[in-house]
Amino acid sequence: MDNKTIEKKVIKADPQKWLEFYGDLLYQYTLPRVNDKEVAEDLVQETFLSALKGVHNYKGDSSEKNWLFAILKNKIIDYYRKKASEQKVMSRPNPQGSEDDWFNDEGDWGENRKPKNWHTSDNPTERKEIQKIINICKDHLKTLQQHVFILKYLEELDSNEICKVLNISASNYWVLIHRARLQMRDCVEKFWLKS
Amino acid sequence: MEKNLMKHLMLNCNEATLLMAKKEEGKLSLKARIQLAMHLSMCSLCRKFEKQSHLIGEESKHVHAEEKLPGDLKEKIKRILEEQQS
Repeated sequence: MDNKTIEKKVIKADPQKWLEFYGDLLYQYTLPRVNDKEVAEDLVQETFLSALKGVHNYKGDSSEKNWLFAILKNKIIDYYRKKASEQKVMSRPNPQGSEDDWFNDEGDWGENRKPKNWHTSDNPTERKEIQKIINICKDHLKTLQQHVFILKYLEELDSNEICKVLNISASNYWVLIHRARLQMRDCVEKFWLKS
Repeated sequence: MEKNLMKHLMLNCNEATLLMAKKEEGKLSLKARIQLAMHLSMCSLCRKFEKQSHLIGEESKHVHAEEKLPGDLKEKIKRILEEQQS
């Protein structure tokens, strides 16, 4: 059997297995990143369809799992790009607005905003707990802050890419990510110290 | 004069926490890096903020849902894949 036949055989046998092996994984990855069950379901379905259509492009230079995830990640980014273009000016509040007073007039930490000690360790149970808390807290972020946070820290894009996807300026981005980071740390702390 | 110069060089916590986000991407000038390092050496609250934000950043990559792909959707995708393949 030459290489070509092997390749063909593997590819032909696989798509059904994709669903078995990676269906849940892809879904569990997508859901926190789009915050919407229906959207997550659509994206996973589209991922499998795109994968099937592009199966001849799969060169086997990454694992099937990574390949599927790469397709999915592109779809997630597209989803945010589309969302950003739909939102337009309407729901784009001035991020400079000082709705959260994290700092006092001198720019020092506000009295009730000071970071506390978390006493975390590196054990797997604790890490899982923190991840769960992050998932809850990021749902509480305001829309654009949330999109920026997800793309930066869950999807690991850099600021330039995020500005392009969301069609925002760099200065706007830094204000948003700064606010999101303050909000997230504060929220995670509240849940963590309560548990 | 000296006080003004210090005030000009010293960051407050608001500025310091903003610079931390930029630092993650290596987007700080030498001056800003020095200013941030100076601030952090004196401010335990911002040190805490940096450490905890770093932890959040690291763990965010691993965030995932517990729910599995709904069974009916699985069936649907399975059917579609079969149709497309045949």
